[in-house]
Amino acid sequence: MAAHPTRRVVLAAAVTLPLAAVSGCGGADVLATPPRPAADVDLLRSAIAAEQLMIARYGAVTGGATAAVSSALEPLLAEHRAHLAQLRSRLIVPAGSPTPSPRAPAAPAGVPSAPGAALAYLRDAEQAAAAALLGRLPHAPASLAQLLASISASEATHVPVLGRMAAR
Amino acid sequence: MSGSSGPGPATIAALQAALAAEHAAVYGYGVAGAYLTGASRATATADWVAHQVTRDTLEAMLRSRGAQPVAAAAGYQLPVAVRTPAEAAQLAVILEDRVAAAYLGLVAVTAAAIRRFGAEQLQASALRAAAWRGSTVAFPGLPANSLAGPRHV
Repeated sequence: MAAHPTRRVVLAAAVTLPLAAVSGCGGADVLATPPRPAADVDLLRSAIAAEQLMIARYGAVTGGATAAVSSALEPLLAEHRAHLAQLRSRLIVPAGSPTPSPRAPAAPAGVPSAPGAALAYLRDAEQAAAAALLGRLPHAPASLAQLLASISASEATHVPVLGRMAAR
Repeated sequence: MSGSSGPGPATIAALQAALAAEHAAVYGYGVAGAYLTGASRATATADWVAHQVTRDTLEAMLRSRGAQPVAAAAGYQLPVAVRTPAEAAQLAVILEDRVAAAYLGLVAVTAAAIRRFGAEQLQASALRAAAWRGSTVAFPGLPANSLAGPRHV
């Protein structure tokens, strides 16, 4: 039995651990005592869900926006898609396991229909998302903390862009 | 301050790296500002002051942890030649990108207060860089080669 399981193995173990625990540890002894990797997976899942929600918010706003506003939002939306792809690439799910990745969240409610208010809504959502990621940093391993901090900084840079668009 | 064992050498090294980047930014903004006028110059001045404030904070953080802060170099070789306002803005972007990378090093430190400080400074640097660049980026501070493509098990 490997004394130092690789990160990938540990993450995979975290995904399957709850099932093993429920079934009374019938099988896989190697997976019985992973060194507390679950925080990684929970953090990734919540960060993924937050990005999905943000992308859904952009979708709700662009759906009712002019072509000019939609195209101005596209670079910001593209960055959120990049965030989501990067977060997903770090979530290792073993082949054949029940898909635990979160479903796309329900369409966000309460999106204002007036153009300026809709952009201000996105601005506020970006600000809140950037702050929420900072709050998650203490629990993250170093490498994931760096990714979350970088995403938080990216979202923070969206705030003044959206604020200027909303004020137009 | 945080725990009885004191900061490890990795924490001190990360703080020193951030301080060195701030020293370089303070120097570089001084050069950039000389080639700017009007609103751009005002922005450069505000950013220059922000870097001085953070430099002082980092020096205090190092001293409070029993470390001697690294000193600024007498001069710095600029990464780009600056003769025009556009080149001055380009220099500011490069300075911010280097500062951002140094702050990501602080984010890797386990002490929560230092990690948070690094993340907040990364935000501040990304905001300044976006203003100079005129656009945003998806992963401030992270080198492109650290970003993995999708992986499959």
